Amino acid sequence: MKIVFTPDWFLTSDVFINIFSLIVLIFITSLAFKSYKMSEKKSALCLGFGFLLIALAEIATIITKLPLYYDVGTISQIGSTIINSDIVSTIDIFYYIGFFLSRFFTLLGLYVLYKLPAERIGGEFFLYVYFITIISMLSQPFYFIHHITALILLVFIINKYAKIYLKEKARNTKTLVIAFVFLAIGQWIFLFSKLSAIYVLGQLVQLAGYITLLMLIIKIIQDGKKEKQSGNRSRHA
Amino acid sequence: MERKRNRVEIVHDMLRIIQERGGRIKKTHLMYKANLSHKQMTTYLVDLIKNGLIQDKKAEDKNLILITEKGRDFFVKYAQVREFEKAFGL
Repeated sequence: MKIVFTPDWFLTSDVFINIFSLIVLIFITSLAFKSYKMSEKKSALCLGFGFLLIALAEIATIITKLPLYYDVGTISQIGSTIINSDIVSTIDIFYYIGFFLSRFFTLLGLYVLYKLPAERIGGEFFLYVYFITIISMLSQPFYFIHHITALILLVFIINKYAKIYLKEKARNTKTLVIAFVFLAIGQWIFLFSKLSAIYVLGQLVQLAGYITLLMLIIKIIQDGKKEKQSGNRSRHA
Repeated sequence: MERKRNRVEIVHDMLRIIQERGGRIKKTHLMYKANLSHKQMTTYLVDLIKNGLIQDKKAEDKNLILITEKGRDFFVKYAQVREFEKAFGL
């Protein structure tokens, strides 16, 4: 069974996209936790938790991909030893657990983001955790199940934030919606990622989504500084 | 009906008003501009001075409140947090 669909020429770029995504996710998570610390809004804490889960998914992906992409020598060397099958099966378990955690944290993170900000996470949360665990396990032999589930969750998230945008007309919310649209398109493309070129396209669209999220963070930080400057300007007026 | 401001929002309003007045303001002006009672105002001032966000100064027989660098930083950070919450509909 093929574990990843990444073409050889794209291996390094693939890991870099994951690292970039992780950095953006860490920024958003820290902003959400900072927001909770200041305003004590539980929704901010849950939002941070949602992005933290997706960040953990990226960490799991990177940790699993690195030896898979760059440590080929170890696998070929153990082929000549007697204990080869034991080690190979250990490596298989490593990849299985790594990609399982990646899928599980991604879906759980997206679900937490979907449940926010209007609704509280109640007792049924554990039921969804159970379903997400099953889906993540099934995604090992049937990779597309993960992408379909992620796509559905992203469509719900887009719907939620689009409603918030239509109500508040905040430009930053519009940017957020665009970022999630990119991520959703990426998941849709991944459904056909058995073709290497399609996988590359999917990763590039995901990258566009994370770049948009980074632009959103930069805009939020700039807007905060502008408020300080406008306060300073009025001193001279 | 407008909802009641929470503690951080009141602190932000106070710091914004001081900023808009060039970083210094008379105590009484701040009280009226921030829409606070004398008792509330005293409680907040003690808290803000204790946290180093503002400082109390007497000049020309006037009781002045000055915003500190830490206060300005807090003002920026809170503005960023508000933008973040607005973007995410929190």
